[in-house]
Amino acid sequence: MLMNIKLIVILVSYLLSASVFAETESSASAKQIVEKFQSDLIAVMKEGQKLGYAGRYEKLKEAVINSHDLSKIARIVVGKEGEKLSEEQQQKLDEVFSKLSIASYAHNFKDYSGESFVFVSEEQTARGGVVIHSHLVIPDDKPVKFDYMLKEKGTSWRIINIIANGVSDLALKRSEYTTILQREGFDALIAKINEKIDNYSKQ
Amino acid sequence: MVIRSSQTGSLKNSLQFARRLTLAASIVTLLSGCATTELAGNNNAANPDDPYEGFNRTMFGFNNSVDSYVAKPISDAYRWITPDFMQTGVYNFFNNLKNVNVVLNDVLQAKFEQGAQDTGRLALNTTLGLGGLFDVAKNVGWHQNDEDFEQTLAVWGVPQGSYLVLPLLGPSTARGIPGSVFDTAANPATYIGMPVQLLSLLNSRANAEGALKFIDEAALDPYVFTRESFLQWRNNLATDGRMDSSANLLDLDDELETSTKPIKE
Repeated sequence: MLMNIKLIVILVSYLLSASVFAETESSASAKQIVEKFQSDLIAVMKEGQKLGYAGRYEKLKEAVINSHDLSKIARIVVGKEGEKLSEEQQQKLDEVFSKLSIASYAHNFKDYSGESFVFVSEEQTARGGVVIHSHLVIPDDKPVKFDYMLKEKGTSWRIINIIANGVSDLALKRSEYTTILQREGFDALIAKINEKIDNYSKQ
Repeated sequence: MVIRSSQTGSLKNSLQFARRLTLAASIVTLLSGCATTELAGNNNAANPDDPYEGFNRTMFGFNNSVDSYVAKPISDAYRWITPDFMQTGVYNFFNNLKNVNVVLNDVLQAKFEQGAQDTGRLALNTTLGLGGLFDVAKNVGWHQNDEDFEQTLAVWGVPQGSYLVLPLLGPSTARGIPGSVFDTAANPATYIGMPVQLLSLLNSRANAEGALKFIDEAALDPYVFTRESFLQWRNNLATDGRMDSSANLLDLDDELETSTKPIKE
């Protein structure tokens, strides 16, 4: 009898620790996704000039797709306006939105002057998301706060928002995209996105 | 996903953009008295913080024209003829004077520890930094803090009010207008005289160059981009960054829920 109780206690504590372990492991993978992405970015910045725009685009394409949930982001940024889009339009938006996201990374991360990312803390949100708080440390300047919000997608985690010093990229984009859809319509939105991609590739 | 997380140059610029605009606003001051809240309403606005979107868009267009025909050419000339170290000196000089405001607002917000450091920063840069031309305090590890009267009013519980684009002065809010008036009154640069104030304006515009270029490159709708980044950035300053993990992220979670389950009517 005593033996049994002992066994149960061991079993229960084992299960408990296993579930605790599983939890830290799954949140560590959210952290891993962010850190992998950040190190990919730094690597591209370091050889940014040598790679050129096209080279940076190729390298970052994989890095962005493997760390972001671009189709979910594309759905969030059009908000309620998204309900008015046809299947075909939604696909078109997905396609150009992904291109724009990668292109703007490729355009903006072109050189390196000693920056590094530092992990600060990790937080669970009410609805099962994870926020990774980190700092971009810039030599001779105040660090910039970067908060990454991730959601689970299948068995892995994906970034759905980046908040830099309190400015939410997703909120910013959502205001822009919904305003343009309301005021000018779908075709104008796609045309504007394509124009941005074009400009990024030229500079 | 991308725009905000850009490489340091453009990123820093974009983050500093609102700061520069507010600085510019606080210098030309009293003009803001003219633009009080009696503006024609436009109720179609998508953002509840922006009930005067029609008026604001007009002003935004006007400011952009003034900028491209007057301010930008002058600022470009200044940037072209002035050596970098001199531009940095000018920037440091006005930034140092602004620290009088920072210290004052530290105290008004009961941030005494930060106030002590900012006082030290002001003293060090005014003496060893030769009247503020050199930012010596940065090397000691005392980074520039950003405090102003608008933030103080926020800390005291004054609501933000509507978003307003002021003629020549750019983005502000109903709370930002009295804030700028106090800031200008407290800033020693206001009392130095005309040529210095013109230089100060030039300095503000020249420093905003990177940010404005960034907006130009990244924004699909420059008006909305400016409004959203300005409001979020000011909000983050007023709350010293404490808001982002509560309000911002929880809102986002709700947004996600509704967007992943589209409502069929």
